[in-house]
Amino acid sequence: MIMSRYLVLHRSDAAWTALLAAVVVGGALVPSNDYYLNLLVLTLLYAGLASAWNIVGGMAGQFSLGHTAFFGIGAYTSTVLLNYAGVSPWLGMLAGAAFSMVLAVLIAFPTFRMRGVFFAMATLAFSETVRILLIYSRKFVELPYGLSIDFKPGLARMVFSDRASYVWLAGGYLAAVLVAAFLLSRSFTGFYLRAIRDNEDAADASGVPVRRYKLLALLVSAAFSAVGGTLMAQYVMYIEPGTVFTIGFSVDLALMSILGGVGTLAGPVLGAAIALPFREFLVEAFGDSASGTHLVVYGLLLVVIVVLLPQGLLGGVRSLRAQMSQGRRRAAAAEARLAAGTGTGGR
Amino acid sequence: MHDFFQLIVSGVLLGGVYALCALGLNLIFGVAKVVNFAHGEFLMLGMYAGYWLMRGTGINPYFGAPLVGAAFFVLGLLFYWCLMRFTIYKPEMTQVFATLGLGIALQNLALLLWGGDYRTVQVMPAGAESVELLGITVSANRLVAFCFAIAILAAVVLFMRATFLGRAIEAISQDISAARLMGIDPGRIFLITFGLGIGLTGVAGAVLVPSFYAFPSVGTFFVLVAFVVVVLGGLASVPGTVIGGLVLGVVESITGFFSPDLKEATHFVLLILLLALRPHGLFGVKGAEKEALR
Repeated sequence: MIMSRYLVLHRSDAAWTALLAAVVVGGALVPSNDYYLNLLVLTLLYAGLASAWNIVGGMAGQFSLGHTAFFGIGAYTSTVLLNYAGVSPWLGMLAGAAFSMVLAVLIAFPTFRMRGVFFAMATLAFSETVRILLIYSRKFVELPYGLSIDFKPGLARMVFSDRASYVWLAGGYLAAVLVAAFLLSRSFTGFYLRAIRDNEDAADASGVPVRRYKLLALLVSAAFSAVGGTLMAQYVMYIEPGTVFTIGFSVDLALMSILGGVGTLAGPVLGAAIALPFREFLVEAFGDSASGTHLVVYGLLLVVIVVLLPQGLLGGVRSLRAQMSQGRRRAAAAEARLAAGTGTGGR
Repeated sequence: MHDFFQLIVSGVLLGGVYALCALGLNLIFGVAKVVNFAHGEFLMLGMYAGYWLMRGTGINPYFGAPLVGAAFFVLGLLFYWCLMRFTIYKPEMTQVFATLGLGIALQNLALLLWGGDYRTVQVMPAGAESVELLGITVSANRLVAFCFAIAILAAVVLFMRATFLGRAIEAISQDISAARLMGIDPGRIFLITFGLGIGLTGVAGAVLVPSFYAFPSVGTFFVLVAFVVVVLGGLASVPGTVIGGLVLGVVESITGFFSPDLKEATHFVLLILLLALRPHGLFGVKGAEKEALR
């Protein structure tokens, strides 16, 4: 296929992959305490979720604030199936993914006409609607406010007694999302998505089937978000509308992507790897004094980062490197002119 | 039939309050093209300001509203000067996430300072909580809040039409480059607009506190309501905001009558449908939403 011509591996891809594999394998095998393992599992899960968000939010430039709905549906579908029908979460997560893809199609119809901030507003409203409908549905079906998963370890139940297994699980999930994102990003689909992000009208005029590709990105993103929801439910073992359907979650995913570098493959992972431990650190530094302090600091720092580094850390590094290489090139050119004896260089 | 009128009247009263809540958001949106996702948090702070004014000095929030408004005007100036002026010509997502981050910080600051308790104040003397008009019972607090809303909305319309500053703001909102050529400094207009927008939001919060509970995350509810009102009424249109608020209030009061648990969901479905079908709002200028997005 012609696609394969573009699917090239860069040296940096290999470096990132090796780093990630080292972290996951090292985390799972090297004995460590529960605190660090917990942080690692959460970081890997959030990195996967942020990467899933990034497929539609970054690559296609559709800033969704509704991903908490996909996440929550994934968590709820598999947990309800496990608790009330005994279905293994391995199957339940596929059911959750399918369910949220259906919802993604539904939401795509009205929202894909909107751009930018209106899309963000509409998806925010969408996720709130899902949460309210879920709470409302408890009138008709017997469903407790919170659902907990029994601690009975077993591979089929996706419940493990040691945290290292969760490192494998979350690491595998992140790897799957990244492979999907990589394939999308380096194929024609990725070119189309970036064209849509940069200028939707121009993409449309150039014959890119805009809505079809936006939908494709949203479907992939929704499915992976739902799977992430299942994994999170299996890890935390307790879900309720207040925790899995909070708007703050969508905001977190977007902010992690922005922090690392929105639209890049490594950006969301980098963002999650910085934001989560950083928040843990803030909780520890301020947590005992009063509730909320760490989030005040977190919120303010995010403001500063967004304003100072709108392209994220990767974007910042990239522009720094571009400046430096430009400087080097200029210096080289000046030297060459000096050597040629024109005497006008050096300034 | 009587029930129906009752629903309409309480819907209209609620709608006036909603319009007041959304006014600051729409003003900033219309002029600076910034969707302030921290709007709800400013409203929440306004509610707390009204609450603490009452608790601290005994000034009734209705009379204290101008004080709160003046304080919030300064807060709005600071908001623009310290943060928003750095984002104004940046991609809109920078603005979205800068204001979202500020919202997170403000919400948790309130939690930190005042805890998660639900607070409200009793201003109406006992026995006068509700008023009967032509056989229709209305909450006295809602009625006062509604009168406030109408008075303030009228004042804003007057200000925009009749003063030089108001016209300058209008000019910037319509065509920034032409306005600049006429010698209007956009930076100054933005500064004043943020002051006005946040000041009005503070007033709205203070007026709300006798009839709604104040708690740190109350802004999340009101910001979504304000979005619906703004989109319903059309962007950058003050009369549109009034109509949007009234429509939403009546819709909420009717759906609330049939299924109280779903009335919030109706807001959001309404918002999604409106954005999809008539993004310029019911009464807005066609294409205004594209203008807002540059």
